[in-house]
Amino acid sequence: MRSRLNAFIVIRDILGFVLTLAAVVWLIVLGGEKMGYSWHWRQIPRYLFMVTAGEFHPGPLLQGLVVTVKITAVSLVFAGIIGLATALLRLSASTVGRWLARGYLELIRNTPLLVQIFFLYFVMAPIFNIGRTATAIVALSLFEGAYASEIFRAGIESIGQGQWEASISLGLSRYHTYQRIILPQAIRRVLPPLTSQAVSLIKDSALVSTIAVYDLTMEGRTIIAETFLTFEIWFVVAAIYLVLTLTLSALAHGLERRYPRIA
Amino acid sequence: MDAPSDLGNRDAAIIVADHLVKTFPGPVRALDDFSVRVKRGEVVVVVGPSGSGKSTLLRCLNGLEALDSGSIVIDNIPLDENERNRLAIRREVGMVFQAFNLFPHLTVLENINLAQCLVRKKNKKEATLATRELLAKVGVGDKINTYPDELSGGQQQRVAIARALALRPRVMLFDEATSALDPEMIGEVLDVMRVLAEEGMTMVVVTHEMGFAREVSDRVIFMEAGKIVEEAATEPFFLRPVRERTKNFLRQIL
Repeated sequence: MRSRLNAFIVIRDILGFVLTLAAVVWLIVLGGEKMGYSWHWRQIPRYLFMVTAGEFHPGPLLQGLVVTVKITAVSLVFAGIIGLATALLRLSASTVGRWLARGYLELIRNTPLLVQIFFLYFVMAPIFNIGRTATAIVALSLFEGAYASEIFRAGIESIGQGQWEASISLGLSRYHTYQRIILPQAIRRVLPPLTSQAVSLIKDSALVSTIAVYDLTMEGRTIIAETFLTFEIWFVVAAIYLVLTLTLSALAHGLERRYPRIA
Repeated sequence: MDAPSDLGNRDAAIIVADHLVKTFPGPVRALDDFSVRVKRGEVVVVVGPSGSGKSTLLRCLNGLEALDSGSIVIDNIPLDENERNRLAIRREVGMVFQAFNLFPHLTVLENINLAQCLVRKKNKKEATLATRELLAKVGVGDKINTYPDELSGGQQQRVAIARALALRPRVMLFDEATSALDPEMIGEVLDVMRVLAEEGMTMVVVTHEMGFAREVSDRVIFMEAGKIVEEAATEPFFLRPVRERTKNFLRQIL
């Protein structure tokens, strides 16, 4: 009974997905016709990769993808560290620490990422003599770290006072209480919003193309400038981002299933 | 662990709490110039209406709540601003909560091993050995690899008692340990507490179980509004209460 119901739900979902996809494609074709746009999909594959004499050569889009993945992966790690540190600072007993964390959070959260990227690139990068890629990573880490810190803080505050009291009355230090008791439960709880934030990071990384970092978006723009294959390239670029974000979501989902225990 | 000198002054107080004052915003005087001494091996039951400061007393005794004024010395260690002393007292004092407060993301074994490894610096093997012994003692030896949410309330509370005992404390504090339990599970937890008392553990017990109090305790303190209304050895307390307020209270709950 149960498995039959599940099979029904799966079929219904797949059907819904296919129908939606068909509708979108139909709309795109219709729009193209109305504009008098002529499609040249056959030219697209070589911007992804080429195989000459049995050898694989990544095209500009794949090269851009590699840059995007590198930048987002490194930024993800730093954003996590910055986010957790900021959250702990905000919850600390130190007044100065709390104000520092608050100041950073409000400054980053209330200004556009694009402006931050420009500020870091044109003002800070020359002072500290760091390159474009490094600047991009710093900007993304600081930006997403601010949001991540609020997620961490919410997670930590959601753990009941009783857990603290039990741990402290067992003689555990504040550090061990965070490390062994509070954070494992808190992070498990905020895995879904953290995943959303990581997905945002991937998408926000497109903005680093504005400081001439040759990521996926920048490569796409360059190809379009040369070929005028505007729609084809943007669709392909969007599809690649989609694959990237869906992969990340799937990984996070796997993590959630692996650690199902929740208070 | 037990130094011979401990045997020499068996009658000496292990808990010395003088003139405790604790206020909460409101303002509520949860402890109002409250003093108490508990001897080694003594079982003291604290009773009183809700909001009388019983829980606050226990929470102050192991430093979970900071005092406004007054002094607490446990096993000759003063509970003061010194972090080292605080940690030392928490090693000597085990606490059992009304809501169990087991760690839900850890198994029963990990719950009990944790403080042994981090605080008593035992290795995992030694800790696990002690944990098995303790679990057998509280009667949940077969649950060692389960998670807390797979246990009944009574089992959870017995695991929580084992967890507190794992540090080999000299004093155990019980904060309404059976109040959150279904009636049929109260007995199994009280049984464990009874065994501890018989073994000579120093215990301060906040409870509404008067039958248990009468049977197990050496002394009863009746408190209200942060003060001691009446304090007496168990038999006289129940048979010949002096104060009118105590008589009323006993009439209501017995």
